[in-house]
Amino acid sequence: MSVTRRFLQGLDNPIVVKEGVSRMRTWRAPVVATLYLSLIGAVGYAWLNVDIGVTQQSIGAVSASAIGSHAFAAMAFFQLTLISLFAPALAAGAVSGERERQTLDVLLVSRVSAFGIIWGKLVASMAYTLLLILTALPLFAAVFLFGGIDPSQFFVSQLITVATAIGLGAISIFWSTLFKRSLAATVMSYASAFGLMVGTAVLSTMLMATQFTAGRGTLIATTGAQTPGLPALWYLNPFFSLYEVLFPQGYAWPTLRTFLQLLIFGPGAGGYTPIGGPVVEPWHATVVAEGLVAVACTIASVWLLRGRRTRPRRRVEPVAQEPA
Amino acid sequence: MIAVDHLQKSFGRQVALEDVSFAVPKGEVFGFVGPNGAGKTTTIRILATLSAPDGGDATVGGVPVSENPAEVRALIGYMPDFFGVYDRLTSGEYLEFYAACHGVPRRRRARVAQELLELVDLTDRRDVAVDTLSRGMKQRLGLARALVHDPQVLLLDEPASGLDPRARVEMKELIRELRRMGKTILISSHILPELEQLCTWVGFIDGGKMAAAGPMEEVRDRVTTGRRLRIELAQPSEEETERVAALLRDHPGVLAVRPLPDHLEVAVNDEVEDEQLLSALVEKKVRVRSFSQIAGDLSEAFMRLTEDHRGS
Ligand SMILES: Nc1ncnc2c1ncn2[C@@H]1O[C@H](COP(=O)(O)OP(=O)(O)OP(=O)(O)O)[C@@H](O)[C@H]1O
Ligand SMILES: [Mg+2]
Repeated sequence: MSVTRRFLQGLDNPIVVKEGVSRMRTWRAPVVATLYLSLIGAVGYAWLNVDIGVTQQSIGAVSASAIGSHAFAAMAFFQLTLISLFAPALAAGAVSGERERQTLDVLLVSRVSAFGIIWGKLVASMAYTLLLILTALPLFAAVFLFGGIDPSQFFVSQLITVATAIGLGAISIFWSTLFKRSLAATVMSYASAFGLMVGTAVLSTMLMATQFTAGRGTLIATTGAQTPGLPALWYLNPFFSLYEVLFPQGYAWPTLRTFLQLLIFGPGAGGYTPIGGPVVEPWHATVVAEGLVAVACTIASVWLLRGRRTRPRRRVEPVAQEPA
Repeated sequence: MIAVDHLQKSFGRQVALEDVSFAVPKGEVFGFVGPNGAGKTTTIRILATLSAPDGGDATVGGVPVSENPAEVRALIGYMPDFFGVYDRLTSGEYLEFYAACHGVPRRRRARVAQELLELVDLTDRRDVAVDTLSRGMKQRLGLARALVHDPQVLLLDEPASGLDPRARVEMKELIRELRRMGKTILISSHILPELEQLCTWVGFIDGGKMAAAGPMEEVRDRVTTGRRLRIELAQPSEEETERVAALLRDHPGVLAVRPLPDHLEVAVNDEVEDEQLLSALVEKKVRVRSFSQIAGDLSEAFMRLTEDHRGS
């Protein structure tokens, strides 16, 4: 079976359909979407105006591309913040909510697999977040027209946002499966989101500070240019990646092998000897890390949910499994 | 069709099932009767593959529940004692959703939903949000939900709880209809009269143990030909009553013992000779004030004996 067919079949999951229908039926869905778009639009608009005013005063001339890139960045950062606030809210009640509503058992005696339930919940909660990101694209496109941002920056900035949304959604679903109560799951989901968005930044700044005072603020020298000896943790921070994508500082990023060294041993004294191979930019690390987190959380959630059903003790004969 | 053999289950130190065995042949309606906390829900959840037993075996349609849960799930329709509904879904969508979960092909889902709504008499509520239905309607919808994949076996955990007399009658009528459709039905309740006319087989559970199980007529005969005794103690202190109750329970032929503030009620089978029982008690230094026989019918006998006697 082709990959696309499998993927489409994965979307044809009763839970996705049900959640979609009932979510779109609330007044909240359109209200939140409208609010979301107007907020992002407002940030972009405000930034454009302020920027134009400031540049006119200082230089007397307006550089459309500088203004465009600033407004684009402001909107992208704001969107990333909003998404990290929405994703946990949408996913944290996924499984614990079923338990609280006493509908989980009935779902568990049906033919839907534990994976089907978790996958359905993930897709259903992500669909709405992705819809928000999608509807905001025209706004980004409008600012993009000012120039200053190239198409790859446009694309990667959206990719970072989507990856963050998926990672946080999967983490929230994991908490939702682990905890009986949606409240606990929500608290932990927001704690995780905070850890990812803010915690990684604070920790890596602290790490860097200690390294500098220890006289180990040595830089990773790769191709002539100097890359700050950033703790690998920085690379996982979506804000940092987004910043580096929108305002590249011209650093030479470490190669994959150097990055792994950095990840495992931390920045060493005396820098690193350049080792060849593909270069790891922060956004690569962020997107891959979010993907790994999503996969790990999904596997863990499925495993937790399976424990709530009787599992086959001995293998008798292969049981016809439902299509995933 | 359903067979449960020496089932055991504990939750931590709390023993929920000590020794539960019964069998339900195909096409029968099995009344699973016992007081609150007797272990009915625990047994049904094991049969529904939602909980694994600590010991013993359970099979549905010959399929062992713990070996092949997926196959068992395809055979059973389960209606929990408490269940919720989703808000913002209509009754029709609700049933179609579960039909999809049970792998009913897309083109047949709407028809299945329609047929089931007809069966449970909710056709006029098809497009009404499920969370606005009355308790009785939700209960009927829950039963319809258990039927979306046309299972051969139905496990209904107190389907009539919280219903008014009229709704109870309707529920019973519905279950009779399902029996006519050839389903094997296990239905739990803590009141026997509720099930007496409905069930063809019956099992009494109390404190995690089966008190009796078998075809209705047989159990009725056994219990009504068996007798109930009333034993009054000379010094009815609490410890003494408990001690005597324990002694009686160990005596062969004693089916159940119910300690009451001023006397004990004992159900015995025909093998028990009154003099033997009495002298066994006297031997253990029990001072008996009076020893007499009480008359009664099936439901009275068993309900009084399995009524909540665990004040202790
Ligand atoms: N999840 C659980 N954790 C701990 N104890 C439990 C659990 N489920 C059931 N029990 C205990 O097992 C015993 C049997 O409970 P069960 O729910 O099976 O009784 P029941 O016959 O269904 O009672 P009711 O008529 O009230 O529904 C009770 O003592 C109960 O406290
Ligand atoms: Mg119960």
